[in-house]
Amino acid sequence: MSRSFLFIPGDVPRMIQQLEIFGADAIILDLEDSVSMTQKDEARHLVESFLRKHHYQNPLIYIRVNPIDSEEYTYDISTLQNLRIHGIVLPKASLKGIEKVAKDLPQCKIIALMETPEAFLEIAAIAKHKRVEGLLLGAEDLAQALNLERTEKSDEILYVRSQVVLTAKAFKKIAIDTPYTNLTSNEGLLEDAQKARQLGFDAKASIHPNHIDTIHQAFSPTKENIKRAKRIVAYAETHHTMRFSLDGKMVDKPIIEHAKAILDAAKRYRLD
Amino acid sequence: MNPIVVGSLESSDCLITLTPHPSRKIAIESIVYDAYHDAIHAVIMSLLDDYNLQRVHVLCQDKGALEYTIKARLKTAILRFKEVHHES
Repeated sequence: MSRSFLFIPGDVPRMIQQLEIFGADAIILDLEDSVSMTQKDEARHLVESFLRKHHYQNPLIYIRVNPIDSEEYTYDISTLQNLRIHGIVLPKASLKGIEKVAKDLPQCKIIALMETPEAFLEIAAIAKHKRVEGLLLGAEDLAQALNLERTEKSDEILYVRSQVVLTAKAFKKIAIDTPYTNLTSNEGLLEDAQKARQLGFDAKASIHPNHIDTIHQAFSPTKENIKRAKRIVAYAETHHTMRFSLDGKMVDKPIIEHAKAILDAAKRYRLD
Repeated sequence: MNPIVVGSLESSDCLITLTPHPSRKIAIESIVYDAYHDAIHAVIMSLLDDYNLQRVHVLCQDKGALEYTIKARLKTAILRFKEVHHES
C-alpha cells in the first residue's frame, strides 16, 4: 500500500522525467489545477508522450484529469486511452463522476478527490463503487467551499478527515490525507502527517518532493513497533495461542493481526 | 502572422516556434547541438511527416529535452498550427 502520493504538474518535463528519484510510492501526474488553461493541451501531450515511452510499477502512476463537466475532461480521456497507468484521480468527485470515469476508462482504478460538500453527502456511495480504490481528502478546495480558515493545526478539518477514514475503511479502500501546504516547516509537516496517521489514514498526498521522506517517516512502522510486532507474532506462533500476556499487557487476536500488518508493512517498505 | 509557440526555455524542455513558410524548413538551437542535432532533426521530420505538414518553418530551441518532450511539444504546436491555419 502506498504511503505517499506526490502531485507533479503535467507540463513540466524536468519534474516528470525525474519522478522515480523523488522516492514517492505513487505519483499523480496533474492535468488539472497545476496546469494553466492555456497549457492543457501541452500537458496532455507531454504526459501521453512520456507514458508511451516509460512504464512504471514503482512508483504507481496516477493521472488527475480535469472535472467531468469540463471540455478538457473529454480531451483528457481521449488522450489517456490505452496508456499504462495505475489509476485516475477524479477532482470534485461525485457518484455520477465516478460512474462516468468507470465507463470512459474501463482499465483504470479511481481515487475520488473529496473536495466539495456535496461529495460528503454521498461519500459512502462513492467509496462503495467497485472501481474506487481510495478516497483522497482535498482540504483546500473544501475549506474554500465551507468558508473555513485553514490553520496549522488543522482542527477545522478533523470532522472530514475522520469521515474520510471511517468511510474508506468501511469499504476496505485507501484513505489518503490532504497535502500539507506549508513548504517551509518540516516540523509542521511531520506533526501533520503523524496526526493523519493517528486518525487512521493510510497515506498522505504531497505537492512537493521534499515532503516525501517525512511522510514516509510518519506512515512507516517504527523500529520499536517492528520489534514488538515480531515478538508478538513469534510468541503466538510458538505457543499456538491467540491470547496471552506480553510485558504485562494483554494480547489477543486483533493485536496479533495488527502485529502481522506491521510486519507486512515493514517488509513492503524494506524496514525489516 | 503570429507564430505558434509551445514549450519553454527551462532545463529539460524545448521551445518550439512554428511559422508559415513556403516550404518545410527546420532550425535547431541546442545546448547539445553537436551530439544530438541529427537526432532532433529526425524527430522533427518524422512528426511533420506524420501530420503531413510541409509549408512551415520550425525553430526548436532545445535546453536538453529528451525525445518524448520534443515530440510532445512539437505535436501540440502542429495541432495548434493546423487549427489556426486551417490545414487539413
